[in-house]
Amino acid sequence: MTTIPLLGISVWLIAKIFILFGLVIYFVFALVVVRQVQLMTETLAVGFETQLKILSYLHLAFAILVFLAALIVL
Amino acid sequence: MPDIFINPPEEKKEAKTPFPREKHKAPGHTHNPLTAYGYLPDKVNFETRESEEKVILLLRQHPITLLPKTLVTALMILAPSILSIFPILSFSRLPPNFQFIAVLIWYLATTAFVIQSFLPWFFNVYIVTDERVVDIDFYNLVYKEVSDANIDKIQDVTYKMGGVVRTLFNYGDVLIQTASEVPNFEFLAVPKPDKVAKILQDLRIEEEQEKLEGRIR
Repeated sequence: MTTIPLLGISVWLIAKIFILFGLVIYFVFALVVVRQVQLMTETLAVGFETQLKILSYLHLAFAILVFLAALIVL
Repeated sequence: MPDIFINPPEEKKEAKTPFPREKHKAPGHTHNPLTAYGYLPDKVNFETRESEEKVILLLRQHPITLLPKTLVTALMILAPSILSIFPILSFSRLPPNFQFIAVLIWYLATTAFVIQSFLPWFFNVYIVTDERVVDIDFYNLVYKEVSDANIDKIQDVTYKMGGVVRTLFNYGDVLIQTASEVPNFEFLAVPKPDKVAKILQDLRIEEEQEKLEGRIR
């Protein structure tokens, strides 16, 4: 039951493609967050800029790690 | 020959200002960058600030307004372990490798939710300087708006505080009507709205005094 009858393609392969596509979109979102944090810290500085930038980069790294994990594990 | 009269040393005359010189002792002064009410904050700077402009107030929405989102975040963090008790609701019907990735994606989604909740709260600030009020709006990740009005353009300041939660935690809305291009400034859900209104009132008086004395920058 894990293959599509007429096409003979595994359901899990299609699921993997969809997951990877979603994670690519999430990676773009993480990049937007990094850029936005950069722009906003230029607009407003309250002494929390470094921590915020580090957090945005950690988030980007997490997104990349999950994408790579999905690519390897699935 | 002994001196008959010696002039007493002249005391330094300070410009009359409603804001104390010893700002570190002033009530409401804090070094916390996540504060919702910062009086005479040290490190606050914004893009359009002039070199001599002094920041009097930094305001954000009261942290209690983040409570619903904080609760949702806590639930999202705990969800995978809680749902694992009920096999039908958990990821246990997926193959093991998909289970692992599903949990990672779930926590990625949780992170996105936290970012979408925290960043707009953090960057959506209201700043009062000795010259103007500045409203920095960060609606979402791709849209921001910055507007300001001079203190002497302020025509009316109203503050509203109603409801159990707002009374309990002492926060409310401050509405500022101006004669500038932006007719209304709304400081929504800010702590101590009465004090904010009083500070704005003091600044308007000081600005009028400066005008009368010809000390306009």
